[in-house]
Amino acid sequence: MTSDRRTRRRVAATVLVMVIIVSAFVVRLVDIQVVRAADLATEAEARRSIPQTLQGLRGDIVDRNGVALADSVYRYDITVSPRFVGDYTLVNSETGEREKHSVWDALTSIAELTDTDPLDLLERIETALEANPNSDHAYLVRRVPTDVFQQVRDLRVPWVYSERIASRTYPNGQVAGNLVGFLGTDGPQTGLELRLDECLSAVNGSSTFERGADGVRLPGSTVVHQEPIDGGTLHTTIDSDLQWFAQQKLEEQARAVGADWATAMVVSVRDGHIIAAADWPTVDPNDVNSTHPDNLGSRIFSWPYEPGSTMKSISIAAMLDAGVTTPGERIGVPARYDTINGWQIRDAWAHDGLKLTTAGILMNSSNVGTSLLGERLTFAQREQYFRDFGFGSPTAVSFLGEESGIVRPADSIDGHGAYMQLFGQSISVTSAQMAQAYQAIANGGVLQPLTLVTGCEREDEMTHLPETEGTRVISQQAANQTVQILESVVTEGFVGPQLTVPGYRVAAKTGTAEVPVNGVYTSERIVSVAGLAPAENPEFVVIVTLGKPDTMKVAAAAAPPFQQIMTQVLKTFRVAPSTQPPPRLPTTW
Amino acid sequence: MSALAQPLGAPAAPAKAPEPRRRLRPVEVTPSREQRRQRPRALAATIAVSGVFAILLAQLMLSIQLSEGAYRITAAEGQLVELSRSSQVLSENLARLESPQNLAAQAESLGMVVNSSSAYLRLADAAVLGTPVAASAQSGVLDGRASTVGNVLLVDVPLVVPAAAGEALGVAPTPSSPGPLASAEEPTGPEPLPAPITQ
Repeated sequence: MTSDRRTRRRVAATVLVMVIIVSAFVVRLVDIQVVRAADLATEAEARRSIPQTLQGLRGDIVDRNGVALADSVYRYDITVSPRFVGDYTLVNSETGEREKHSVWDALTSIAELTDTDPLDLLERIETALEANPNSDHAYLVRRVPTDVFQQVRDLRVPWVYSERIASRTYPNGQVAGNLVGFLGTDGPQTGLELRLDECLSAVNGSSTFERGADGVRLPGSTVVHQEPIDGGTLHTTIDSDLQWFAQQKLEEQARAVGADWATAMVVSVRDGHIIAAADWPTVDPNDVNSTHPDNLGSRIFSWPYEPGSTMKSISIAAMLDAGVTTPGERIGVPARYDTINGWQIRDAWAHDGLKLTTAGILMNSSNVGTSLLGERLTFAQREQYFRDFGFGSPTAVSFLGEESGIVRPADSIDGHGAYMQLFGQSISVTSAQMAQAYQAIANGGVLQPLTLVTGCEREDEMTHLPETEGTRVISQQAANQTVQILESVVTEGFVGPQLTVPGYRVAAKTGTAEVPVNGVYTSERIVSVAGLAPAENPEFVVIVTLGKPDTMKVAAAAAPPFQQIMTQVLKTFRVAPSTQPPPRLPTTW
Repeated sequence: MSALAQPLGAPAAPAKAPEPRRRLRPVEVTPSREQRRQRPRALAATIAVSGVFAILLAQLMLSIQLSEGAYRITAAEGQLVELSRSSQVLSENLARLESPQNLAAQAESLGMVVNSSSAYLRLADAAVLGTPVAASAQSGVLDGRASTVGNVLLVDVPLVVPAAAGEALGVAPTPSSPGPLASAEEPTGPEPLPAPITQ
């Protein structure tokens, strides 16, 4: 009997203990899961889960050889937690002794490293504290380079922190600065940086990770919610070495003759690629503030002007194509050409009647002769040829702020302007358009769309591919004849010796345009040389333009940079020297 | 012990009761094969217990390793960040030193010049193409002038040979003759390759 009772008691005790234990667990469970659920979840979340921005890097802009023209780098903002600013003690890592440091010591060291004023830093802290006594964040120095940041960090000041920011650097400075553009604090401001921002810009991603009480990231706890997408690499057709050379030579000459502005372009004949596009004055994208806002863009694309006699090559090429003349046709060129309202067209030099061939008219750059020949084309034909050569509309580059220039419509142009435009007055073009037109002549009459960007490379995929379809503007024969006539400018013209490149046959045309101000032509000039080489098989077009030179108002001012740039281009691309002598076209009779 | 109590006792009791009457003598109890099989074996127990301990120990080691690994990853990541920072500093520096205006200025400060007239030798028939002209001391792109193509990144980059030191343009400074220290170091260079043994 006792044994039986004992068993029952034991069972009861066990059940009781189990009930107590289970109910304790239940109470605890309800407490955690229901009563304090929200608080605990928030606390746990905050304690473990750390959100993080995954920064995507903006794409590089590179030249034709992959040299970076614009490069993404990291910079660091040195920040401070103002409410914790105070004297502090550090263990010297060498001696192992504790050393006291004052606020002033720390600020002096930081100022020394970052090249700032310690008083200024102190003021920033005090300003932040005045605004909010519990201030936890203020900038001490912004955008310091990595090595400076590392030195500041090694000071181990407990209340100094840092923030990494993506920044932009332009390792080649002013080289192609006018094309590349730059990044301001609010993003891209101009040039390719802005025009093709959709290619270059990165998309930031986000992730969270969990960390332990000691700040160490828990293994395997990182969850990436959104992968960052780096920007694409923008490939340009520029050759940075040639671009530098062109800018250097252009600026030397522009300063020497007191020009207001100058442009130089090198275009590859076969594909219309822009090898160099030099502007002066230009901008160093690393230091935008030291450049006048007018000079931040590229005048090559955004600055139409009346080109003057370089346009005669286009006009004569059009006439040869239309079959209204031949290079050897004999023309009697009078002293002047009467248009409408008693207005006259004269040549740059006074002469009586001249016996010139069509080739001689272009070689001697006779306005009267060009006008005489021009009679044979209708106004509509003239306009059509100009438009076919790409004038009056932006080039395929579609550069930021690109201008179209003005080609006056045939139905509204006056009888004087219709002749003036044949020799490049009363028509306005950009340097890019003129280079494109010469490219068409050099390329046997096929105009290739001018190209600055060959594509945007993102994850082995190329987008933003340029147009490559050429359009025939004039016949092969007309183009070849024009090139031959242009050779005589170099072999026989009076500026010729300055345009000669030893070992190569060069074809070129000079231009000295009068600059109109309020509808009246002034004594200001825009001088230019446009040409191509080697003449027997043209590979490169070079065009140099100087705006409003003071000391030398003739095209010869633009000859030295043309000759130097052309020489450098032929050398850089290892163009085979010419083996045959240039043809001698009769220019007089 | 009364006889009355006997039937009430536990089944084990009858064995106990007659004991005092019997003479104590050793009884050999040979467990049946079945009993022997049922008896817990020491070996199995040892294996089980040590297995549990081994698992516990392995788990402990694993978690130690894991957390150790986490710290090492953190340290290595820190190192990676630091190294990529250094790499960035160096490549940034390289890019600005590589810029054409710096290269030209440096090359010309060393007395190098550009030969603007290039000529080519055609190997097929040994013909010279182009017009070879010797470069003069003045045929540098900059020719002693400062580069006009600015780059603020280069303001603190000195020329290899400062313009004042390179007196004669176009003449490369003679390399400093090796001092006694340099000649003393010479024999300690890498050993020459052994002469090939031919059979």
